Amino acid sequence: MDFDLILNSLPLLGIGALVTIEITAVAVTCGVLIGLFVGIAELSRYKALRLPAKVYVDFIRGTPLLVQIFIIYFALPTVLGMRIEPFIAAVTACSINSGAYVAEIFRSGIQSIDKGQTEAGRSLGLTWSQTMRDIIIPQAFRRIIPQLGNEFIAMLKDSSLVSVIGFEELTRKGQLIIASTYGSLEIWTAVAVIYLVMTLSISQLVAFLEKKFNGKKVK
Amino acid sequence: MIEIKNLHKSFGGHEILKGIDLSVDKSEVVVVIGPSGSGKSTLLRCVNYLEVPTSGTIVIDDVVITPKVNINTIRAEVGMVFQHFNLFPHMSVIDNITLAPIKVRKKSVAEAKKEAMELLDRVGLAEKANAYPEQLSGGQQQRVAIARALAMKPKVMLFDEPTSALDPEMVNEVLDVMRDLAESGMTMMCVTHEMGFAKQVADVVLFVDDGKILEKASPDEIFTHPKNKRTQEFLSKIL
Repeated sequence: MDFDLILNSLPLLGIGALVTIEITAVAVTCGVLIGLFVGIAELSRYKALRLPAKVYVDFIRGTPLLVQIFIIYFALPTVLGMRIEPFIAAVTACSINSGAYVAEIFRSGIQSIDKGQTEAGRSLGLTWSQTMRDIIIPQAFRRIIPQLGNEFIAMLKDSSLVSVIGFEELTRKGQLIIASTYGSLEIWTAVAVIYLVMTLSISQLVAFLEKKFNGKKVK
Repeated sequence: MIEIKNLHKSFGGHEILKGIDLSVDKSEVVVVIGPSGSGKSTLLRCVNYLEVPTSGTIVIDDVVITPKVNINTIRAEVGMVFQHFNLFPHMSVIDNITLAPIKVRKKSVAEAKKEAMELLDRVGLAEKANAYPEQLSGGQQQRVAIARALAMKPKVMLFDEPTSALDPEMVNEVLDVMRDLAESGMTMMCVTHEMGFAKQVADVVLFVDDGKILEKASPDEIFTHPKNKRTQEFLSKIL
């Protein structure tokens, strides 16, 4: 094992790791926004909202992220007649993918809130949307923090797939370094350890947030 | 104040309410008794449209309730207290009470808080204003729930078995608040198994079984000389 190679590669891998965090953060943030609305749409009384939401969630969850990336990066430009930047393609694919999983998290979170909460809100004269915003969503959100954390971790790892379209995140940086140094063992080990450090850090952060929010609820 | 005519309610082909006619005057306290599954809770829940009636009419304060009227404005006039309190666990006691006055009545935060404190004082919980529901006993939670409903200054209060989920020693603190409320002239409909409360506070007692009002009388009459055979059987089991 050539430790000097690892040390010398760390600055480049570090940049890659930052890019990985960036794309993951953007994707999950967009995913939470998409997922909130799609999750609520899935529970709507109106079929016109329910049906598209279900088609979206089923399609995304039933197809590989890699294929979704290919569709957005290679197939979509032939329809649009313009090239899509790797960063835009990567973020779009990951956001749309994350949105479907987050939608299911929100849907089950909202459904887990006791029906009596909605009834109490409505009996006070609050509208459906006021009841959702002020009573149901805040409680559901606290409850789903662990699942959202898992989604963040899953997306951080899955974002390595965007390396196939040449987007230079952590995995792609590793490939590029290996191409010029042939240090497969060293670099892939280093890349794996960097991913591990990031995912473990997120777990810690999520555990902290969970404690903070639930502590606030009780005390 | 409340006029109910020929109210029917079915759930998936099963008829729970089979034609209810009822009139409740202003300041009247109506206590609804009957076996479980008789439809008494459903009757109460139809009054503020938490359950949508299958047929029949409900008039509250001269407003005919149909799916076409803005149901939220009517619900704001009809307070409801639930068996399981249904306080909002993520909000402090004071926020539970001020939420609807601020959002629905568009009151200022300061005014809503001032009124909420008066109500908390009335139910004897002023010192719990900043506590969270989980820190309160069941009886305290139910008193907060009553204060929350009263904060909307409703014309009618509905109580759906308000003491059934409470430990026995906490039942009276809730009944005391309800008794005060009745004496202050509030129009009330209560589903309850507390016969002592019914005897003391009710103007009218309804015995409901199998989706119908089988007997309607003053508490004195119904508890000492029940006319209907099913009323007799029911009362002999619980008294």
